[in-house]
Order: sequence, then structure tokens, then C-alpha cells
Amino acid sequence: MRQFRSEYGLLIAIVAVLAVTTIFNSAYLTKPGQNAAEILRQTSLLGIFALGAAIVIISGGIDLSSGAVIAFSGSICAEIFLALSPLDVRGSPDPSQLGAGVILAGITGALVVGFLIGTLHAWLITAIGLPPFVATLASLVGLRSLAKVLNQTVTAALGSQSIKIYVYDKDFTRLGGLGDLYGIEVFGIELGAWLIPCSIFLLLSLGFWFLMNRTVVGRHLYAMGGNEQAARLSGIRTERLKWLAYCIGAMTASLAGVLYTAEVGSADPLTIGRGYELNAIAAAVVGGCGLQGGIGLIPGVMLGVLFLRVVIDSVAKLVGSGADDYEGIIVGFLVVLAVAFNELRQTSRGGKKFFPGALGYVAIVALALLAGSVGLVMSGGVAGAVAGVVSVIVLGAVKFIESRRGP
Amino acid sequence: MAHCKSFLAALLCSLPLVSLTCLGCHRAADSQALGHHDGPLENFRTGKAERGTGAASNSTEPKRLIMLTNGDDPFWDAMRAGMEDAEQDLKLTDAGLKVELDKNDNTPKGQIDKLTQYGNQTDIAAVAISSTDARSTQIADAMRALLQQGIEVVTIDSDVDRRAARDARFAYLGTDNIIGGRELGKAARALRPNGGNYAAFVGLKSAANAQERIQGFSEGAGEALQQLEYLGDEMDLSVAAKNVRDALDRNPKIDTLVGIWAYNAPAIASTVKERSIRAKTKVVVFDAHPGALLGMEEGLIDALVVQNPYEMGYQGVRLMKALVENDQATIAHLFPSWNATSGEFTRPDGDLRITGLKVVVPDENTPLKKDMFESSTEFLKLSDFKQWLAKYKLKGS
Repeated sequence: MRQFRSEYGLLIAIVAVLAVTTIFNSAYLTKPGQNAAEILRQTSLLGIFALGAAIVIISGGIDLSSGAVIAFSGSICAEIFLALSPLDVRGSPDPSQLGAGVILAGITGALVVGFLIGTLHAWLITAIGLPPFVATLASLVGLRSLAKVLNQTVTAALGSQSIKIYVYDKDFTRLGGLGDLYGIEVFGIELGAWLIPCSIFLLLSLGFWFLMNRTVVGRHLYAMGGNEQAARLSGIRTERLKWLAYCIGAMTASLAGVLYTAEVGSADPLTIGRGYELNAIAAAVVGGCGLQGGIGLIPGVMLGVLFLRVVIDSVAKLVGSGADDYEGIIVGFLVVLAVAFNELRQTSRGGKKFFPGALGYVAIVALALLAGSVGLVMSGGVAGAVAGVVSVIVLGAVKFIESRRGP
Repeated sequence: MAHCKSFLAALLCSLPLVSLTCLGCHRAADSQALGHHDGPLENFRTGKAERGTGAASNSTEPKRLIMLTNGDDPFWDAMRAGMEDAEQDLKLTDAGLKVELDKNDNTPKGQIDKLTQYGNQTDIAAVAISSTDARSTQIADAMRALLQQGIEVVTIDSDVDRRAARDARFAYLGTDNIIGGRELGKAARALRPNGGNYAAFVGLKSAANAQERIQGFSEGAGEALQQLEYLGDEMDLSVAAKNVRDALDRNPKIDTLVGIWAYNAPAIASTVKERSIRAKTKVVVFDAHPGALLGMEEGLIDALVVQNPYEMGYQGVRLMKALVENDQATIAHLFPSWNATSGEFTRPDGDLRITGLKVVVPDENTPLKKDMFESSTEFLKLSDFKQWLAKYKLKGS
């Protein structure tokens, strides 16, 4: 039970956010099914590659390439579609009637590309000796550019040159979770296509939970994340484990790339998945994964993603137009809060000081200014001043109490 | 075993949590909300009394009329000014309405997410959208989904693909971008009567207004002016400036620079100044970005073809209010070919309301003359245009 304490905390937090939003905005009561479906759809799309990012983090690594892999794999998928799609009357590829075989080929191609990218990362890290940060940073920078060039080359060979490839096939675009599910009804309720990404997310979660909690490989991944050298000395083949972890990270991002391409109906390497690598890491951290490795649970990651999406949706409801401007502030705040909460749980008995010496005074000023700024932009000058002053008083009191405890 | 139970508990509680808290209890409320607007598409076309009834009157909270942009640019400030003036003039508060301008992040996904979010809210009566990607079937589908929920949808500034998705909105209000592009092309041809080579710059090549303007420009410029470059910057201002430098580096023959979107103008002007190539380069641009006005004052730009985003904002609010209130007289005034009885536009392209164009030149020492352009296009000196801006307290248009 204690192992799942942060997961239960997240569940309570999710319910609290839903309750507060419902009190101040009627949308959840008036359009409940629609809102639930949209939150779950968004949660699933983010969750699919957040799971991969979490496994890399648990194994003691980091993968900065998710967003670029999403863009690259989506482009590869669309290029395969173009290459295999039937021709229209003018002899140009017609991506509106692809057929199941072509869609399957596109998805398979994207996943194979993900596997190869993961392999490349593992090779750079284990054989060449690059730090994971640098190896995956290279992909982050390079893959979008490569996708852009490849898209232009493929489209030029098949018709008119373009960076963006449109995919109109309705069966494929359903994979993004928008629209209906072939008109299927259960108990008189029409099912939505949002069930597709949601089901994929749940299946992947179950699979990864089994891998991490019920297999030797999973235990070894935790062991390697906790102490790589000890794991190696114990006879664990860490190179192969890293290969597995980075392949999972890249392949889940590839799968997400296919689904995002389906969602927007086009593969655009310049815009799809921009900045998503940090969203995935944030979701994993909020879900309880420690960036030092060896810590984190799959249910926690699922709840972390759901929590982030619920909060973002709540802000959209409560702030209205321009709510996306606040998304970064909120996600940043939640990440710091989650990490600080975990840190506090682990060190609270050690009498740790949060505001030691001169650094503490400056940190209090910085935090008060931050609180004041957030108050200012969200509710005006008075709220900003109140938030700033209250922050100074509360944090100053903490500093005073700490200083009474002695060094 | 204990772990397994805990996991299953967490799993069962996590994803379906939102559904369980909402879905089961309030299905009836859902259907009521939708039922209020039964068959909106049909109503939309027929103009029957159900359209918009009570959209603004049954709640103490004002309903929102939203203008969703494709990205961020000073161009939208002029539109916001028009929207706010319309809000005052049309007494929207008394009608239980208010206006908002919502800026997209330049991506189709951003617009899809925002449109979906609008559909999930209860206080939105109408949406006007400048489509980021005319060919995106998913944006069009998201617009149709709003229509099905009884939210009025129109396009402003940049339309959907009219061959495939005309049904995704009631009408389009904005510039006829082909004519606008043509006017810009005519200006370039007059400045280069013996022909030349041009490079054109734009934000998103996929946007309908970009495609129409560049097509119009080509028609207006004629065959003597050859296109050597046409570059998109994905609305990245840094790339916009780099594109101009790259095009000039690659093609020393370029003697005419063309800005298709508002912010391309300052990017072009700054490069022309930086490289000291003004004497051999003609510059024509769309819109009156504040940087373009400065550029023209400094003698770096020869002609501006200016849209009227203020008018788009003003008339857009007027149209959205009329649709929400089912005010057939105002709809017919804005779109004379609209037949309220049949619910159809009686002539082709009757669903397009074209806002005006202005050609702005630095002063009278220009080879450009009013009779070179369409009779409906205003022809102004920079000083006169700045007086017009001051009248509406605008810094650009």
C-alpha cells in the first residue's frame, strides 16, 4: 500500500481538480460524455509515448528525441502511404482510399523506424560512450530536418514537391481518435473513435506493467536504473537492457507519431510533436519517476498523464480563450511540485533546510516575485501584490524557524 | 498479489475515472444540450426559427463570440479593434454576448485542439476562424462538429478549401486574395515595366490566402516577371529574415522582393537596408505591418497592398451576432444573395463577402497610378493612410 502512496495522492488530486472545475464551470455537467472522451483521448495520445519515456528514465537514462521521433515516424508513415496508395485519374497518388494493407504497411514502417532509432541511441550510448543526453539530443536536432528533406524528395518524385504530406483516408484518420467509430452503438450510445487511442494506451500500459513488475527483465531495468555499476557487477547485461529501454522509448514515440499524423490528417515535420519530449518527461516525473533512475511505476505514469491533461483542460475551462498561454506555467509548476513532494517525503526526517544562508534569502525573493507575477497575470495587480507579500511572509517564517534549529 | 490488486485498483480508477464521474450520471443532460439544437446543419441552411434561439438569452453568463486566428501578428490587433468597436456599437452586452480574440500557435493541431475545446464548453455561441491549413480535412471536420452542436461557424481572413469543405462554415468574410495578389502583381509590373526576377516570401504556403495571393500575384505581374524563389518560414520570424538573405545569396539576379504575409515586409526591408541593395531592388508587400510602415517611411518599400482587418473584425462580429440571433435581415444585408426561405445563396460565391483593399505608396513621386488598379481599390499616399490609421487608433492594418 505504501508503495502506491503517490498514486493515490494523484487520484485524489484528479478528483479534486474535476470537482473544483465543475463548481466554477458547467461544461462537465452539461457535456459530460464529450469532455470525458476528449480528456481521455488527449491523455492516451500523450500517455503512449510518456510510458516509453518513463521506462527510459526508470532504467537510468533520458530520451530527448520523442518529439522529433514523432515527427519523423509520422512522415515515414505518410511517405509509405503515398508510395503505395492508388493513383487518381491524373496519375497522382490518392491518399483518400488507402486500404487496410497500405495502412498496416505505413504503421509497420513507422515502428521499424522507431526500432532502428532506438537501436542507434543504444549503440551511441553503450558502444561509442556518448552520454544519453547527447545521443538523443542529436536525434532531437536532426530528425525533423531529415524528415523535411525526405518528404520533399518523396513528394517531388511522386508529383508536386512539398514538406507536408496530406492523408485523407478516413480509416487512418480515425486512429487519431476524432470522429465516430463506424457508427457502432452500445446500449444506444454511439461509440467515438477516441476509444482507439485509449485502447492502445491501456493495452500498452498493461504490457509495460507486466514487463516491469512481473519479469526478470523488468527487475533488472529497475536495478540498472538504481545503480548501473552494481547491476553490471551482478552479471546483468546492461547494454542489452539499454537497447531494450531506448527501443521502447523510440517505438512508443513512433506509434504516437502515427496517431498524431492521423489526428491532424497530415504529416508535417515542422509542427507535429514540437516540444513533446519535455511533456513526456514531465508526465513521467509527475507520475513519480525519479530522474536519477530506478524509481517509478507504470500506474503512476498513467495517473501523471491523466492529472496533467485534467489540469490543462480545467484551465481551458476556467480561463477561456488564451488558456494555452498558461499551460507552460502550470506544467512547470506541477513538475517542480511533484519532484519537491517526492524529495520531501524522502528527506523530511533528516531535518533538511530549504532556505539555507544567503542563498535562502535570494530564493525567497525569487519565489515571491514568481508568485506575484503569476497573481498579476491571472487576476491583476492587487492579486499579484497579495501573492507576493504572502509568499514573503510564509517563506520568511520557514526561514526563521529553520535558522532557530541551528546548523 | 497485493501489488497486483493495487495496480488493478489504480488502473481501473485512472482512465475511466473521468468517464465514471461524468458519463453515467449526466447522459440525459448531454442529450438535452444537443437536442436544443436538433439538426443544426439543416437549420443553418434553411434559416428556420430554431437557429440560435436562446443562445444568448437563457443564461446570465454572456455567451462568447470567438475569433480564432492562425497565429500571432500585429495584423490581428486591427481586427481586435474592429471587434471591440462592434461590441460597443452593436450593444453586445445587452444581447448577452461578448467578443474574444483567441490566437492559435500556427499549427493545424493547435486549431483542431482549440475547436474541440470550444465544442466542450457551454458558453460559446459562434466561432470565426482564419484557417491555418485550408487543405486540412481535420480542421474542416472540427468546424463541422461545432456546427452540429449548434455553434455558428464562419471563416474570416483565410477560408477553407471551397471545393471540399464549403459546408464546414456559413460564409467567408475577408479579402479576395486572388484580387489582392493581382493588385500586388500589377504594382510590381508597373515598377518593373521591362521585366525582372522576383522572390516571394510567406508564412505558411499551405494557407488558402497564401496560395491565392501568390496565384493572383503571378497573374498581375505577367510573364515578364519571373519567379526565382518562393519560400515559406512556418511563421518563424527568424526564418523569415533568413529566407530573404538566402534567396538573395542564391540568386544575384533577383531585383524584386515580394512579401505575401504582413511580417514578411519588415524582414525584407531590414535585409534590403543591411545589404544596401535598395537602388537595384523594388519591394512590394501585403498588409501594413508597423515595420512595413517604418520601412516605407525610410524609403525601403515601394508599395503596400493593404487589407482591412478592422472591417473584417467589425463585420465578423456583426455576422456572428446575426447568426446567433437568427437576424435574417442583417445576414441578407451582409450577403445579398442569401435567401432565408430556401436557406441557400442564390448565386455562385454568394457566400463570400469581400472587404476592401488599399494600395499605399510613399508619395506622389511613384510610377504607380490609381488607374492601374481595380476601381474598387483605394489608392493612398502614406501620409493619408496614416491619418486613416490614426482615426481608428491603429498602428497597422
